[in-house]
Amino acid sequence: MVANIKDKAVIVGVHNTEFSKDSGVSELSLAAQAVKGAIDDAGLKPSDIDGFATFTMDSNDEIEVARAVGCGDMTFWGRSHYGGGAATGSLHQAVMAVATGMAECVAVYRALNGRSGHRFSDGVSGNIMTADAIHWGWYMPYGLLTPASWVAMFNQRWMHLTGVTKDAMFEVAHSTREYAVNNPNAFFYGRSFDRAEYDAARMIADPLQLFDCCQESDGASCVIVTTPERARDLKQPGVSVRGVAQAAAADQEQMTSFYREEFAAIPEMEIAAKNCYEMSGLSVDDIDAAIIYDAFSPIVLWQLEAWGFCGFGESGDFVLDGALRPGGRLPTNTHGGQLSEGYIHGVNGIVEATRLVRGQSLNQPDKEINHALVTSGVGIPTGGALLGKLD
Amino acid sequence: MSDYKTLSVADVSVGDKLPELDIDITSGLIVGGALATRDFEPVHHDKSVAQAAGLPDIFMNILTSQGLMSRFVTDWSGPEAIVKSLDVKLGAPNLPGMVMTVAGEVTACDAEAGVVDIAVTGENNIWGMHMQGSVQIVLPVEG
Amino acid sequence: MTPEEQKAFEDKLYAYVGVKVCSRKPAKDAVNETMIRHWTEVMGDNNPAYTDMEWAASSRRGRTIAPPAMMYVWNQEGYSVASSGRASDPQTDMVEFFNEHGFTGVLGTNVKQEYSREASPGDTVYVEMVIDSISERKATARGTGYFFETLATFSDQNNETLGTQRFRVLKFIPQEQPAAAADTNELQVPTRIPSPRGHDNGWWWNAVDEGKVLIQRCKSCQTLRHPPRPMCGECQSMEWDSIESTLDGEVMSYTSLRHPKIPGYPSDPICAVIKLAEGTNIVSNVVGCEFADVHIGMKLKGKVEQVDEKTMLPQFYPA
Ligand SMILES: [Zn+2]
Repeated sequence: MVANIKDKAVIVGVHNTEFSKDSGVSELSLAAQAVKGAIDDAGLKPSDIDGFATFTMDSNDEIEVARAVGCGDMTFWGRSHYGGGAATGSLHQAVMAVATGMAECVAVYRALNGRSGHRFSDGVSGNIMTADAIHWGWYMPYGLLTPASWVAMFNQRWMHLTGVTKDAMFEVAHSTREYAVNNPNAFFYGRSFDRAEYDAARMIADPLQLFDCCQESDGASCVIVTTPERARDLKQPGVSVRGVAQAAAADQEQMTSFYREEFAAIPEMEIAAKNCYEMSGLSVDDIDAAIIYDAFSPIVLWQLEAWGFCGFGESGDFVLDGALRPGGRLPTNTHGGQLSEGYIHGVNGIVEATRLVRGQSLNQPDKEINHALVTSGVGIPTGGALLGKLD
Repeated sequence: MSDYKTLSVADVSVGDKLPELDIDITSGLIVGGALATRDFEPVHHDKSVAQAAGLPDIFMNILTSQGLMSRFVTDWSGPEAIVKSLDVKLGAPNLPGMVMTVAGEVTACDAEAGVVDIAVTGENNIWGMHMQGSVQIVLPVEG
Repeated sequence: MTPEEQKAFEDKLYAYVGVKVCSRKPAKDAVNETMIRHWTEVMGDNNPAYTDMEWAASSRRGRTIAPPAMMYVWNQEGYSVASSGRASDPQTDMVEFFNEHGFTGVLGTNVKQEYSREASPGDTVYVEMVIDSISERKATARGTGYFFETLATFSDQNNETLGTQRFRVLKFIPQEQPAAAADTNELQVPTRIPSPRGHDNGWWWNAVDEGKVLIQRCKSCQTLRHPPRPMCGECQSMEWDSIESTLDGEVMSYTSLRHPKIPGYPSDPICAVIKLAEGTNIVSNVVGCEFADVHIGMKLKGKVEQVDEKTMLPQFYPA
């Protein structure tokens, strides 16, 4: 039984800062700019914001962001854990707060200097005695210490089991890049690439090569969530949260669930998908476009299977049929994704999913987008959300 | 003979990059290199002597660095290339536990004479530049 | 050093310019296939021009050659350098003269070899060496000193020149080390990042230090679990002991971290999820084979090994 918060919260404002490799400003500055931009987009005032939601990984305290932007009194703050698994997790926090009346206008933000500051590709190293550090200790001494290496370990087995090849990984990277080419805020704006360039790129962790890996970016994204009543009076077409779910599955580890009977799988995402469908009353056929968390190209493939767009092992054929492209079954990552726009931990994906439902994407598909899916990172406790037009 | 291909000078252009080579620096490589080059200076096989000289462990001798640089270039060029010179500027020492990444780029190419200059760097992951220099080879003018 | 002392020192020093370190003399061993092969093994050099007689016979050269970079090797003194020290010659005299005046630091800075002819097995390499130049006194980052350059000329038994080597060395007065401890960290050779050892996992790593890989076992229901946890997920018992793994395993999946390079690790370490014969999975390294040889389902045998100065780890080899 899923608690039903269908259509009880609506995204009314979205904003991305400029994404870059060296912002030259603090993460707090980025957070404040993103929140202010989203407030403006919604046609709200800073004093309207009474709640915040973000990632445990975010370094910007809610009260610091509130003071910077000039928000007033605050009645809710909540954070979501597990890296990119918190993308729709922070939205989930905001939706629960609004649906239950704990707050009326919640700003969901994520700000990071992910390139000029701490880089995820630097890997982990443990100095502090926490359960988390002990967890990484099972991998660090062997050299398995970057996100790419953990995903590669899953992917090698998944490819072995399914027979899916790098053709499908290239199609994910390439279709995403083609969208980024039209997006001035994307790292790869105006820069297309071909299979030869993809194949020639450096190996990162077999079989992942450079263009299978997302950008490391400086930037921030924000979306603002409020009640349907309030949303109807605001500037932008409201985008209602039809369903949102978080999930961790049995024997879950953070990026290294290598101890399950069959570990080349993401059962946690299957749970999130099932609960989102149940909550929203929607089925896979109702979804017109998707923003699928793409820290690495193959994880898009696994998620297509988890959300039921195709069966296990069939995602290769699904994408090679052109499904992710502008005229395809499921235009996906139309902002250029984290592979080619920027890595803002998936919150830039919520921004883009909202724009798709509004009809405002730079790569708006010709068909009507009634419902869009947006997901969180995988390999970790994760989640997803289904967005639709506010009635 | 097709097993061993040698580049012809026509295959080469200024700016071409050679495939990078990562070399694990181990005690075995350092001692083995010293012996294979008949270099019995104790700093290359006796840790206590190396430590007395101010380094934490034995370090690679110059003749091994030269050998690795030459190998790096002829791995790429193929066996008919004639090595004409090795000009090495020495930097930080290579010690056990380090990884040296060797990289190279063609800096000059005389299509008529077949003479090709390659700038080579060998950088270790701890102390940085171990060796930097240029290698001149002569390639067959026709394939 | 007063200006007068310096002048007296330099007068004597510069008298070494042009002095022969050694007259033309032959190497103890002729160029030979054995020493060439020993050299190519260590260098990882598979160039058939050096070792493949059959290929070489039909190559442009028609014969195998010694690696040009071995030019200096043939005339090396050999083991006496380790057992009784380098024999005295004008170069060692000059070095001693530097040392006596405080220029005890030594740093090879450049070496340039030029080759005019390739030597082949059977040739004898002759060397002669001269102190070719000594620079003026220079202030360097290492300290004040002089660069000297030796020129070695190599020829064969027919007195045909094989090539030359110019070796440039800085002799300097080592700078006073500010705060002796400051640089010790920099001089540490990095090792693998250790696992932190806490209450729930320290015992496991302590056993590895003693050469054993253990698997935690619930005392109540006998279920094995890895990585260790304080409670049994099957029956919630907190009583446990452990069994020692035989380290027979099978590859479930694998990858190799190619980028970035992590200090203290071998390049491109192969990592794998390995199903142990006892039924639990473990992450470890696959060693003793090439990455291309690793495949899912591959049988492995592990043993606990010292992988660097500080680290004991289970490592798995092809079975
Ligand atoms: Zn039990």
